Amino acid sequence: MKKVKIIAGITWAFICLILIIILFPGLNSFSASAAKLPFMKINPNYSGGEVAQQLIATGCTLDIRKPVFDGLIKKRNKGFVQLDWRGNVPDKIVDTIDYDLDNKPDFCIFVDRDQSKTVLYPINSKVRDIIISTPTSYGWAVRVELIK
Amino acid sequence: MDNALTSSGMKKSFGRSLLYTLPMFLITFMFMTGGRPDFSRPASALAMVVTFLLVNILYFLMHYTGKTDKLRAILFIIFALSLSFTLINNMLETRNSMSFSQADILECKIPFCHLVIPMMILPAAFTNSIIFPGSIIGGFANIASMVVLWLVATLVLGRGFCSWGCFYGGWDDGFSRIRKKPAIKKISEIWKWMPFAVLIMVSLTAALSLIPTYCDWICPFKAVTEFEQVTSVESATKAVIFVSLFAGLVVVLPVLTRKRTQCSFLCPLGAINTVSNKVTPFTIKIDKKACTECFKCVEVCPLFALSTEGIKEGKVSVFCSKCGKCVDACSKNAIHFGIKGVPSGTMKNFSRNLFLFVSFLFMSVFSAGSIINSLQSLLNLIF
Repeated sequence: MKKVKIIAGITWAFICLILIIILFPGLNSFSASAAKLPFMKINPNYSGGEVAQQLIATGCTLDIRKPVFDGLIKKRNKGFVQLDWRGNVPDKIVDTIDYDLDNKPDFCIFVDRDQSKTVLYPINSKVRDIIISTPTSYGWAVRVELIK
Repeated sequence: MDNALTSSGMKKSFGRSLLYTLPMFLITFMFMTGGRPDFSRPASALAMVVTFLLVNILYFLMHYTGKTDKLRAILFIIFALSLSFTLINNMLETRNSMSFSQADILECKIPFCHLVIPMMILPAAFTNSIIFPGSIIGGFANIASMVVLWLVATLVLGRGFCSWGCFYGGWDDGFSRIRKKPAIKKISEIWKWMPFAVLIMVSLTAALSLIPTYCDWICPFKAVTEFEQVTSVESATKAVIFVSLFAGLVVVLPVLTRKRTQCSFLCPLGAINTVSNKVTPFTIKIDKKACTECFKCVEVCPLFALSTEGIKEGKVSVFCSKCGKCVDACSKNAIHFGIKGVPSGTMKNFSRNLFLFVSFLFMSVFSAGSIINSLQSLLNLIF
């Protein structure tokens, strides 16, 4: 039994030695495999959620994402909708948004990029406030707080 | 013959030490150069040569002198400093600031670090997603590669990751070495369970809020990496908390106690690594026949892993990070690196050689990139 334990211990130690030797050369392929695991995606609370609508104007695209209410187990009462303006974004943005696709406007938004000023005009009572309005590498992004 | 080693028994002759260093020399050469050293850019070539020599000289000296801890600590501390330098330098170049903006969060551009892992687990299980605004793959410090690196390291080294792989540990390790004798000697050992309380607290709060609460509110190392822009009372409160924790647990207490207090009392990942210490084949063993119960090892242990009762029973606790400080302090060579299953007091040299190769290889390859980057940036600044 003692000998078996010694052999098992040393074998496990040598397996660990091999693991460390192959870890760095194989890191890219191991990481690529790990990235395919089902949980390896960014939570919508951070990524902003999937793009639900794309409105294209001259040189500028507006991505309206799916409203995010994700909680640990069930949907939360408070959430947000993220809007991303990409490309040649004008200095002053004025848009009317229908985030829930019911063909009725839910809010109007005005962004003055030069003065970093954002004003929200809620139409739907579920639309609350601006959470984030910020310049990004691709243009401008806004998160608007919603309730269920 | 291995059983009869004396305190100087881990020392090797010059030639034998060179022979033991040869595999490390070849492997680190391959990893750092890809087999084809590029001397076209002098600053980068010089940085690479210096890092390569540093790593291999330290490893050679571990065999030649028979000492582990001080030589490990040199690379470990350089790793911590260089990583912070590389990160800060990168942020100042790209953002002109150490703070990240709301846009960086929205675009998921925050570099991932292993301390987030404890908070990822529950939300990943329930929501099938990662609660961190980083990149899954590609880019600097992406989530997939950091998870793979930590997973393999913790499996192989257990809590040894905290002394051989963690790029933050070098900070409090470094500060704990400043004074020769501790100003505060008596610290209740109950505090060493604190990381488990932190782990439970941050795991639950992160799961409920879907926010990595430790990173958001507590992590002291934001002081030497990056932090949220101070734009509100909330972000200012967070800044006060992390700066105070850095000053208290990473600087002041390690200096006064000669212990790694952040790692011992706060780090939630350290708690997980403590559990994985049960899996790793490498351990520290006590040869009760050789032990004179001087308890010098208990005194020097920076992570409260040793106790007088434990030493009397020949047991080392799961809190051990295999830093080697106790091994170096023992004049009778009674405490030594070992392999699970192998009886204590036997195969001391073999176990040490194997553990050193595995752990030092991990640290040297993991740290090489940031050390080379830092040296290169310094050389570019000077010339």
